[in-house]
Amino acid sequence: MTRDVGSALLVLVGAAILRIATADTYLRYVKASMRPWLLVAGAILVVLGLLALLDVWRSVRAEARAHRAAGERAAGDDEDHAHDDAFDDGHGHGSRLPKAAWLLVLPVAALFVVPPPALGAFTAERQQATTVAPAVGAQPPPLPSGAVVPLPLNDYASRAVWDAGRTLEGRTVSLTGFASAAPGGGWYLTRLALTCCAADATVTKITVKGAGAQPATNAWVTVVGHWVPGGGTNSETAIPWIQAQSMTPQPAPKDPYE
Amino acid sequence: MTTQASTPAPSQEKGWRPGAVEALVVVLLVLLIGQRWLTELFSSPAWSAGATIFVSIVVQATPFLVLGVVLSGLIAAYVPPEFFARALPKNPALAVPVAGVAGVCIPGCECASVPVAGGLMARGVAPAAALAFLLSSPAINPVVIVSTFVAFPNNHVMALARFVASLLTAVVMGWLWLRFGRGEWLKVPSRDHLVGATSFETFRRTASHDFLHAGGFLVIGGLTSAVLNVVVPPSWLQAVADRPVISVVALAGLAVVLSICSEADAFVAASLGQFSLTARLAFLVVGPMVDIKLFALQAGTFGRAFASRFAPTTFVVGVVVASVVGMWLL
Repeated sequence: MTRDVGSALLVLVGAAILRIATADTYLRYVKASMRPWLLVAGAILVVLGLLALLDVWRSVRAEARAHRAAGERAAGDDEDHAHDDAFDDGHGHGSRLPKAAWLLVLPVAALFVVPPPALGAFTAERQQATTVAPAVGAQPPPLPSGAVVPLPLNDYASRAVWDAGRTLEGRTVSLTGFASAAPGGGWYLTRLALTCCAADATVTKITVKGAGAQPATNAWVTVVGHWVPGGGTNSETAIPWIQAQSMTPQPAPKDPYE
Repeated sequence: MTTQASTPAPSQEKGWRPGAVEALVVVLLVLLIGQRWLTELFSSPAWSAGATIFVSIVVQATPFLVLGVVLSGLIAAYVPPEFFARALPKNPALAVPVAGVAGVCIPGCECASVPVAGGLMARGVAPAAALAFLLSSPAINPVVIVSTFVAFPNNHVMALARFVASLLTAVVMGWLWLRFGRGEWLKVPSRDHLVGATSFETFRRTASHDFLHAGGFLVIGGLTSAVLNVVVPPSWLQAVADRPVISVVALAGLAVVLSICSEADAFVAASLGQFSLTARLAFLVVGPMVDIKLFALQAGTFGRAFASRFAPTTFVVGVVVASVVGMWLL
């Protein structure tokens, strides 16, 4: 790979990172807290790339000037050779870029042309639901006041599985997630959670009782209902229940993960 | 730098060939024209999940890689070689543990440590010491240890076990390199072409060069990991969860395949509740030192001959050390 292409790739990778970090697209791939780092990294790459392009442009000009001077001495010299030399600047110093650097075109293309969607039911159905045990002796705080309390799915599951639903009893909650297929038929209300990026996604699943018609796979819904015992407790892989009073379709949220 | 433009190109490159710039333009045009076809291809759930994981790994690693190449550029430009000669013991056998402990200093993940270790070698640090640093820094820095502490609220000793086992593995690997390693396996990044450049020029060119060098290999690692993530059925893991020895090796293997950032892996380990703590320790020790993404980065920076010997050995040492430390502490 020549230095001019390398420089252009630096600009393109930086621009692709800036593009997703300035829109909400980056939330499909990483945590919201990564945004400032993406902006800084993208900006650094664009600046490094532009400076490198400037470098290439300068040496091309210097080369052309030298060629012109040489041409005056010996007219009809091999033109192609001079052209080649100009673009080969940066080669002769033992610092060739590996061919693998070309592969940076792939993430650039993915981000500019078809940004892949957020992970959904496919990933959720392949993975076991996990509700990580809280610290021994730690009591979950009481639910905030209000007639209907919106809760993240993993908070609901943690209260239902590791505290036997004590803080949920007698309250009405609303849970927002997407539908994923249950192995034996039926469906789970599902949400994925990230620690850093989508490669480390963990999944929370909740069995919805009395919701009526099953939503389409990957369709987002908000379920308003109350906790009922079922699905097991004190196990990382338990899938708790909720008794639905209503279920309404939702557009996919800006941040699809918890 | 204008004088460098007059360096003659190697003779085999004479004659016209399609320029790389033209090739880049063609590739980008084809991708743009093929947009609809690509969109259809990625409508299959497995393809689209794989693409998302691939892009996520690359996007997530980019800020850390940039941190790493900026640091390696700063080392090349502003830290005189005498500094390392003075800071590290003369005897390489002693320099290895010192460099291993120095890994605490860089609050990054494994993507940052590869270019930094390359920069250290280019600055004359003994390869064995730079390698101990390469392995220890993503595993024992404060961010990683604190996140491990938080992820295991009922087993805080996990954070200590991780620190001890990772540092031990790094130091053992440094010593093994010192004893058995051969110079010709290792391609030390060269900075000769920068002789005479100003400090800022050196910084800028080292950082750009290192990013392009490592970036392509990061893409290879991300692709491989994404494919395995989508192709390998997770049920394979469940089958070995209750077998003590196999489960340690299985989770260490999972760490290699998943290529999760070392700042996030503790939370994934915490969610693998059906496995023993020792098996999960092996996951945490091996993950930041050997994974597909990292193997690709190492091969790109230090050469394939190096990576194909170093990574498998690190895997074995990591599993053994994690098992011993796990039996002792967990």
